[in-house]
Amino acid sequence: MLTELGDEGVQILAISPDPNERSQELAQKLHARYRFLTDNDLAVTRSYGLLHAHGGHKGQDVARPTTVVIDRRGIVRWLQLADSIQVRPDPADVARAVRQLGS
Amino acid sequence: MSRYGPALVSVLLCVGAIAGYYAFLRVPAIRNHPALYLVAFAIAAVIAGAATWQAARWPNLAALGLSVVLLILGGYFNFVLARVPSSPVALRVGEPAPDFTLPDAAGAPVSLASFRDRTPVVLVFYRGYW
Repeated sequence: MLTELGDEGVQILAISPDPNERSQELAQKLHARYRFLTDNDLAVTRSYGLLHAHGGHKGQDVARPTTVVIDRRGIVRWLQLADSIQVRPDPADVARAVRQLGS
Repeated sequence: MSRYGPALVSVLLCVGAIAGYYAFLRVPAIRNHPALYLVAFAIAAVIAGAATWQAARWPNLAALGLSVVLLILGGYFNFVLARVPSSPVALRVGEPAPDFTLPDAAGAPVSLASFRDRTPVVLVFYRGYW
């Protein structure tokens, strides 16, 4: 996870279908300044084209692991989509993409 | 003992690859190259196979069986189970991110547009626990 990004002056929004309580526990465990948003019915995930149908370990729908860097004007500036559930973006790459936005 | 040296090396390579992968799961270079453990299993299978070719005794056969089973299971997980099908994604670099509003952990609505002109945003879509 991207705990390294806490001091980059950036808002991290972590989105999953998880209920709020579970995400809150995770945030406390990581000591991370994330805001956990609950996409209960995966509507936003679906509208972004990031639904992995039946991809969960019990065959439920989940999100395709994805990291998106958005600048102050709301423009997508960096994007990484996972093609394997084992792979996560290197936090250093995300931090670099955020720094390249400038201020 | 040295008679079964290759079998021992093969087993240690298998166990070491699994232990190493989990021990360094937080290191992106290890985590993001899971096929490395398959390479280790394949090398272990070749070593055990060569030892079995020379002497078909049970330690060599056991090492060969272990490494081949791990290679098949690991390959199935890596290339079949862990694959995420590609989908038409509604995000392009250089284009606006679609706005949304979702509840945060306290139930308060958070919209992407509320960060406009204030701060960059990193969205992390993750699989969650269930």
